[in-house]
Amino acid sequence: MTGRIELPQGTVDLLILRTLLPGPQHGWAISERVQQVSSEVLSIQQGSLYPALHRLERRGWIKARWGTSDNNRRAKYYELTRAGHKQLEAETEAWRKLSTAVQQVLEGA
Amino acid sequence: MLDDLRYRARALFRRRQVEDELDEELRFHFDREVQKYISRGMTGEQARRTARMAFGGHEQVKEDCREARGTSFLELTFDDAKYAVRQLIGSPTFSIVMILTLALSIGANSAIFSVINGVLLKRLPYPQPQRLVRIFLTSHEYPKFPLNPWDFLDFRARNHSFEAIAAFSRSDVQLSGQGEPIKLNGFHITSGYFRVLGITPQLGREFDFQAEIPGNGRQVIISDRLWRTRFGADPAVIGRAITMEMQPYTVIGVMPPGTEHPGNEYHSVAYGENVDVWRPFSFQGNSNQRGSHFIEGIGRLKPGVSVDRALAEMNAIMAQIVREHPNNNGWRVLLIPLYSEVVGTSRQLLLVLLGAVGMVLLIACANAANLLMARSSARQREIAVRLAMGAPRLRIVRQLLTESLLLSCLGGILGLLSAFGGVRALVLLLPSDFPRANDIHVNWPVLLFTLAVSLATGILFGLAPAMQASRTDPKQGLQKTTRGTTSGRQQNRLRSALVMAEVGLASVLLIGAGLMLRTFLNLIHLDSGFKQDHLLTAGVSLPREKYKLEKDRYLFYTQLMSTLNALPGVESAGAGSDLPWTGYDENAGGFRLENKAPQPGEEFHARYHAATPGYFRAMGIPLLAGRFFNEGDKDGAKNVFLINQTMARHYWPNESPIGKRVTFADAPKNDSDWITVVGVVGDVKDHPNSAGAEAAFWYPEFQSPDNDMLIAIRTQSDPRQAIDGLRLAVHQLDPGLAVADIKLMDDVASSAVSTPRFAFALVGLFAALAIVLAAIGAYGVISYTVGQRAPEFGLRVALGAQRADLLRMVLTQSARLVIPGIAIGVVLALSLGRVIRGLVYQVSPNDPLIMTSVVLLVSAIALLAAYIPARRAAAADPLATLRTE
Repeated sequence: MTGRIELPQGTVDLLILRTLLPGPQHGWAISERVQQVSSEVLSIQQGSLYPALHRLERRGWIKARWGTSDNNRRAKYYELTRAGHKQLEAETEAWRKLSTAVQQVLEGA
Repeated sequence: MLDDLRYRARALFRRRQVEDELDEELRFHFDREVQKYISRGMTGEQARRTARMAFGGHEQVKEDCREARGTSFLELTFDDAKYAVRQLIGSPTFSIVMILTLALSIGANSAIFSVINGVLLKRLPYPQPQRLVRIFLTSHEYPKFPLNPWDFLDFRARNHSFEAIAAFSRSDVQLSGQGEPIKLNGFHITSGYFRVLGITPQLGREFDFQAEIPGNGRQVIISDRLWRTRFGADPAVIGRAITMEMQPYTVIGVMPPGTEHPGNEYHSVAYGENVDVWRPFSFQGNSNQRGSHFIEGIGRLKPGVSVDRALAEMNAIMAQIVREHPNNNGWRVLLIPLYSEVVGTSRQLLLVLLGAVGMVLLIACANAANLLMARSSARQREIAVRLAMGAPRLRIVRQLLTESLLLSCLGGILGLLSAFGGVRALVLLLPSDFPRANDIHVNWPVLLFTLAVSLATGILFGLAPAMQASRTDPKQGLQKTTRGTTSGRQQNRLRSALVMAEVGLASVLLIGAGLMLRTFLNLIHLDSGFKQDHLLTAGVSLPREKYKLEKDRYLFYTQLMSTLNALPGVESAGAGSDLPWTGYDENAGGFRLENKAPQPGEEFHARYHAATPGYFRAMGIPLLAGRFFNEGDKDGAKNVFLINQTMARHYWPNESPIGKRVTFADAPKNDSDWITVVGVVGDVKDHPNSAGAEAAFWYPEFQSPDNDMLIAIRTQSDPRQAIDGLRLAVHQLDPGLAVADIKLMDDVASSAVSTPRFAFALVGLFAALAIVLAAIGAYGVISYTVGQRAPEFGLRVALGAQRADLLRMVLTQSARLVIPGIAIGVVLALSLGRVIRGLVYQVSPNDPLIMTSVVLLVSAIALLAAYIPARRAAAADPLATLRTE
């Protein structure tokens, strides 16, 4: 647990959008997935996950519908909208630029 | 954008569903976490605890989600309001006390603001009123003096600063013809008077310059009201002849409704729509005789011309006039913007009243804050629970603020309702000469003001208690007792400070009320120079055409006087040019004393009156030397007059004025040019609060009887019984005459002190409200701390303390609150003294007697407020209190 990093809001949004790229997911699965893929380094706490989902829904980047989960319970599934796809591309691009630039500065100095 | 709106709308209008969904979503997440931990080998209990810890505050998450949905503000407010209503209903006594005290103080503020809004803030009812100025003269002896007609003509011809100037002079008329003759408020006006005001007649036109020429004056402009009531709103009234003063006058104009009189000083008519008849002013007589000042000037400045520039020009013109007519020496022009002139005297009073109600409101706020804090310590558990559930502190502040805003708004609504009644009562209470009383209403600006005051009040008294309550430590708050916690001590300090402030402000108001009371008492116990009781007054005017001859007027008055004096129950009856305290201000200048040359620059001016022999006895004005008038002082007899004491002292210091002679002629030739002083009578001031009496003299009315006369009848019992006799006497002499303005001198005198009475009544009321609130505040804090210290008291009694010791302890504690409070109040009152200097009469704003009385009164009330809880403390049962510990 000690290796975890606090995530800024914009990054949480980006990670959520990216996690939804393969297909619809419910909240818990999103947070599990992020944790798993990042080798337990990144973790989105519920405290920021659900507000972020509501925020993204309000912006129209994801939409929600109720479905049945793998253990047969009603769960709220989120999926990317068309605007969400575009937003993901734009944010990914921005993130790449940023990290490359930061990388260059760190190495060049 | 549209998505966003749709989303928000759904979140807002299907709140219940959205909230339920959120709950379900979060529950699902939690359950999956628990499952995950169980699958890693934890027991069910362990898994749940771990999940709960990872989850953070459930409430917090929901709160953040609401915020993310973008509807949180409205939703929260709605929630908070619902919760607040439940809280208020839950403690009805608390809520009622809060709402009532707030309603009283907000209502008082709204009522005073209604008056201020109507009198001070509302525009004068003329176009571009800021360009209107009143024109007076001033000298070092007479600060504000009417104009002389010839000077006015010179001003009108020579000035370039004004678009137009006009003059007016009171001249009531008797309208006869159909039905009972009536007397109407009327004015003589110069051409252009309505152009200056900016009002055009709705029918016909206004007077032209021709109308000012003597002989052309038989024209009249009438008010809309007169047109409707007397002439059936007939448009053909223009050009018609109507009978006024028993003379035919041609109607040339009808003014529109809302033609308000701009007010005047001399023979004053109140501001407002109360003048019915305007006739042309005639410039009669010799333009070189400029001693008589009786017309009032008003002008409309050209656009862009400042009052100062106009004043400089007018004074340059005055200097020319003085060179041309040297006996005008000493006069300068005084220009006063119409607004200042209209609201002038009332402004200070109203601002002081606003300050007073403002203080009452502050006290009410302090009280409300105190009550809230006392309650919030009772609610500490509830708040601690909410904090422990993860509610952010800001959320608690918001919740508590919503409660106080709800209280203040309910108070505001109730206050506004009471302001409707209050304003009606205020208008009735207003001094009769108060400007613009008709413009006082509870209207939109008052509504907005009340709303703003209510919100500000709610925040003011709610913020500190809310902040403090939100600082509750959840752990301590959940424990059984909260006594002795830091926040508790802090709270006690804040509450004590609030009580101190309340006591201080209440002391200021009480000192103010004391000053107003002293002023009022000084004025009614003043030696007025005449006797107001048992005195009936009335006015009779003899139409100038019918009573053109002096001997007819002489006959009328002598007959009327002898009939009145013979009436049963009448002690003496007289008539004169005027009555005291009614705004009379007629002056004569340019006289000379025999064997006395004036000093360079010395002005000979005196108030001019006329009286019949019975006048002084009827008014109760004493004779100090010489004799009163008698029946022999008539036309053809030696010219005599009476002077008042001030005139005697001023013109004949250190010698007897009896037998001394005065003349108005430039070159007196024979005895008839001289007037001999035959008596000295007591001084009567112009107004009860004038600094002193003006020098004045009286002509014998019977020597040259005037057309207008005011009658004074002194009776043995109720003066009202003489009314019928007076009417009958006048009717017998001339059935066409109206008896106007029948009044008791007691009423005249009482309306002359109506402003100080009004000031005292209101400041007194506010002070009473303030001290009651402050007493409640002191009582609340003392009884709260007594309750807190009950175990300590029980312990003390158990250890042998006497009940008197406990009583003393509590009273000392209250003295520690009250004494600094009173000290603050006295210091504040001393520094505010300047503000009310103009409103007090013959009492210093720092009057030590009043200060001492207030200090004693407030101490006594505070002692009383502390005594009840102190007795409870002293009655502490050691066993019972220790058992509850």
